[in-house]
Amino acid sequence: MTTLRINGEAVAVAADPATPLLWVLREHLGLTGTKFGCGAGLCGACTVHVDGEAVFSCLTAVGDVEGDVTTIEGLSRDGDHPLQRAWIAEEVPQCGYCQSGQIMRAAALLAANPNPRRDEIAAEMSQNLCRCGTYNRIFKAVARAAKEA
Amino acid sequence: MSDAAVTSLDMKPSRRAVLAGTGALVLTVGATGLAGIARSDPATNDVAPNIWVRISVDGTVTVVFPATEMGQGSSTSLPLILAEEMDADWDRVRVEQLDRDDRAYGNPIFGNVLYTAGSTAVAAYFTPLRLAGAQARQVLIRAAAKRWGVAPDSLKTEPGVVINPANGKRLGYGEIAALPDVPTDVPEVTEADLKPRSAYRLIGKDIPRRDAPAKSRGTETYVIDVRVPNMAYASVLRAPVEGETPQSIDEAAARAISGVLDVVRLPDGVAVVAERLETAFAARDALSVTWSERAPARKFDNEADLEAYAQAVARPQDKPAEWRAEGDAENALANGGRVIEAEYRSDYAYHAQLEPMAAVASVTDQGAEVWAGTQTQSWTTRTITDVLGIPADKVRVHMMTMGGGFGRRTALMQEYVRDALLSSRAVGRPVKVVWTREDDLRHGWFRPASVQLMSAAMTNDGTLEAWRHRVATPSVIKYFNPLRWSQVAPKDIVSMRGSESKHYKIPHFLAEHVITERRARIIPWRGIGAAYTSFAAEAFMDELASAAGEDPIAFRLKLLADNPRGARLLERVSEMAGWGRKPSETALGVAFAGYGNTMAAGIAEVAVDRETSQIRVPRFWAAIDGGLVIAPRNAEAQIEGGIVFGLSSTLKERVTIRDGEVEQSNFHDYEILRADEVPEIEIAFEVSDAPPSGMGEAGTPMVAAAVANGFHALTGRRLRHMPFTPERVLAALA
Ligand code: FES
Ligand code: FES
Repeated sequence: MTTLRINGEAVAVAADPATPLLWVLREHLGLTGTKFGCGAGLCGACTVHVDGEAVFSCLTAVGDVEGDVTTIEGLSRDGDHPLQRAWIAEEVPQCGYCQSGQIMRAAALLAANPNPRRDEIAAEMSQNLCRCGTYNRIFKAVARAAKEA
Repeated sequence: MSDAAVTSLDMKPSRRAVLAGTGALVLTVGATGLAGIARSDPATNDVAPNIWVRISVDGTVTVVFPATEMGQGSSTSLPLILAEEMDADWDRVRVEQLDRDDRAYGNPIFGNVLYTAGSTAVAAYFTPLRLAGAQARQVLIRAAAKRWGVAPDSLKTEPGVVINPANGKRLGYGEIAALPDVPTDVPEVTEADLKPRSAYRLIGKDIPRRDAPAKSRGTETYVIDVRVPNMAYASVLRAPVEGETPQSIDEAAARAISGVLDVVRLPDGVAVVAERLETAFAARDALSVTWSERAPARKFDNEADLEAYAQAVARPQDKPAEWRAEGDAENALANGGRVIEAEYRSDYAYHAQLEPMAAVASVTDQGAEVWAGTQTQSWTTRTITDVLGIPADKVRVHMMTMGGGFGRRTALMQEYVRDALLSSRAVGRPVKVVWTREDDLRHGWFRPASVQLMSAAMTNDGTLEAWRHRVATPSVIKYFNPLRWSQVAPKDIVSMRGSESKHYKIPHFLAEHVITERRARIIPWRGIGAAYTSFAAEAFMDELASAAGEDPIAFRLKLLADNPRGARLLERVSEMAGWGRKPSETALGVAFAGYGNTMAAGIAEVAVDRETSQIRVPRFWAAIDGGLVIAPRNAEAQIEGGIVFGLSSTLKERVTIRDGEVEQSNFHDYEILRADEVPEIEIAFEVSDAPPSGMGEAGTPMVAAAVANGFHALTGRRLRHMPFTPERVLAALA
């Protein structure tokens, strides 16, 4: 039994400690907003925060998690984090599958760097793939959120 | 796009939901296909003027969405079209996913198969949905007229209400639905009854996509997210080479893992079913399977196969299948002035949709309930009835929104659905099958490889007289949908689209298909044939302009004398990009392509890093004419996404096959464009009087040629083999 703090709540999980956090979140706990894209740290669809840092949950063994985990479901109380509002205003999502990971990555970026330049946004966001090609709208939405936050 | 579709409108209004046929089955669990999309409730007292729309007494208007949603946005734009003609209050419109193979809702462009592909959804349903909306509006007006004792044509509508201008009386659509005596005759409507464009309140305005909030909050449900009670998980070890079967399976180690429920032999693989997904993956890795070793696919080899295509294009064994012909190109080439030839090549490409294939099935004695993310209700249903040998009325399907499609989810037989069915039947529980990225890539179905021979004859003054575009590539339709092939052979739009170059006027023209042997699993891919034929055609057009000593845009404009819409796009994009400036660190390349009736002119700014031989595209401009634009911001997103997709394929994407095995396995060796590589993109729409002709693919085909032509402007060298990897760039510069 592993005990985790997820989105502010203590949760006990009966999973082998080597199990990727991704599967614990999605399949044990039903927090399916975090997505599976590659399982190898290459696409960022599984991005969550551990103590505010963006991590690939597909590469994080649940037994190794020490800090507080935040997923897209816990990023804001009513789904109205400045980034989420900006994402809706800029109409970023197409298929939407990458977007939880994009938003979590961007949230960690803005927490560390509230006014990133475009090249800083591009560098950080290039850890997350979007096959639908929404990158330019992601840049706009991050810049909008930085301005409005 | 004929208006014959009017006949598919159900002519009887009914007091009950028209979708009652779905109620037959088994489990009903919370997960629905699209966030916020309702399921039908046969017990309601709704007014249903036709099969497309129902009006509830509370004023809710429910519109059936006959396509499927993979990110292209038609789950917003199709209902919007109906709502426009109906004068529905958009905030009261609910969208209902069509979840079954009911051909009354079929896509007329595909013989009424339920099929979301080829950028056809808006084009195909534009008229049927407008007619259905206009008809619903007429039903409401007549009911109000009867109530008030006035003539129907004295009334008008505003969103959600019928109004009598004579006295200002109003009846909301819901109030009308609640009237006891709604007339039961449904008026015929024709295109003459439809609104003029100038009266549109929704179409062409910036109405946001319905799914943006759910997709920004992590609450959209994809098939990979579905969880149903008592569900188990399966992972499938697939034969390494197409056509091989499991000979012997050593499953002891897998079964020894706690939580493993069963090991299931599949026609081309072995599934492990377990209580947990991570257990299924671990146990699948513990399998030891001996595979047969006699499949012809063991000989598949992308390099050798491409050489064979090159032989075939130079010396076809059989007469090629004619795709489009004007005049007599062969004769003109044989007797023409200056003949120019070039050979172009393209490699296999993978869809890389970000959601790997997955499916959930629950098979019982009564039938099957299936959750699937596919581009076709028809072929998903067919897969289920075929695999289980049960009739369609024992099948309940949930069409889920997809984490990308791009053509991957279109096949007649859907192996990911099949595997969930067989696994569920074996263990007697609902089962979710999840492919890993490695499964998805190694067992992917791809855009075919091609070799294309371009030939042209020009007069001495540089006028293009004859053009022959010969494409050596397999028939995609023959493989991914043999049923369709029996109807269309030997014309294969999936393999050949784009090579018709129909927007130009060339006196002697021939596009022909050398149908080569299939040497991989192949399927439509964003832009279908145009993804490679427009590369060859538009890069070759640049070669001809050079040979004629003319500016590439001026040369093309001469061929567009009869196509003012196309000419306007080239002029527009040349203004946007500042065409004509001298190459410096970067240079510009142009292409004129598009997809089907949607025309696109694009200019790429190209730079080359001389140390790494990597091409960079810092900026891209595009001018688009896709007729009427339904949802401008989404149209822009689709074109932009199409350009990014095209650039990714142009610069990076390449599947290689050795001894029948795909050599790539994940995003480290099949790279797609990342955020720091994406150009700044500027897009302009020319909205013409033409009907809407689709946006989902129109951005992709122009990109490769624009980049190749920009590379030539910068370096004087031609790139004729896509993708333009650093090795190929280096070779071109040598
Ligand atoms: S799923 Fe974790 S990085 Fe792709
Ligand atoms: S929106 Fe589809 S992958 Fe990003």
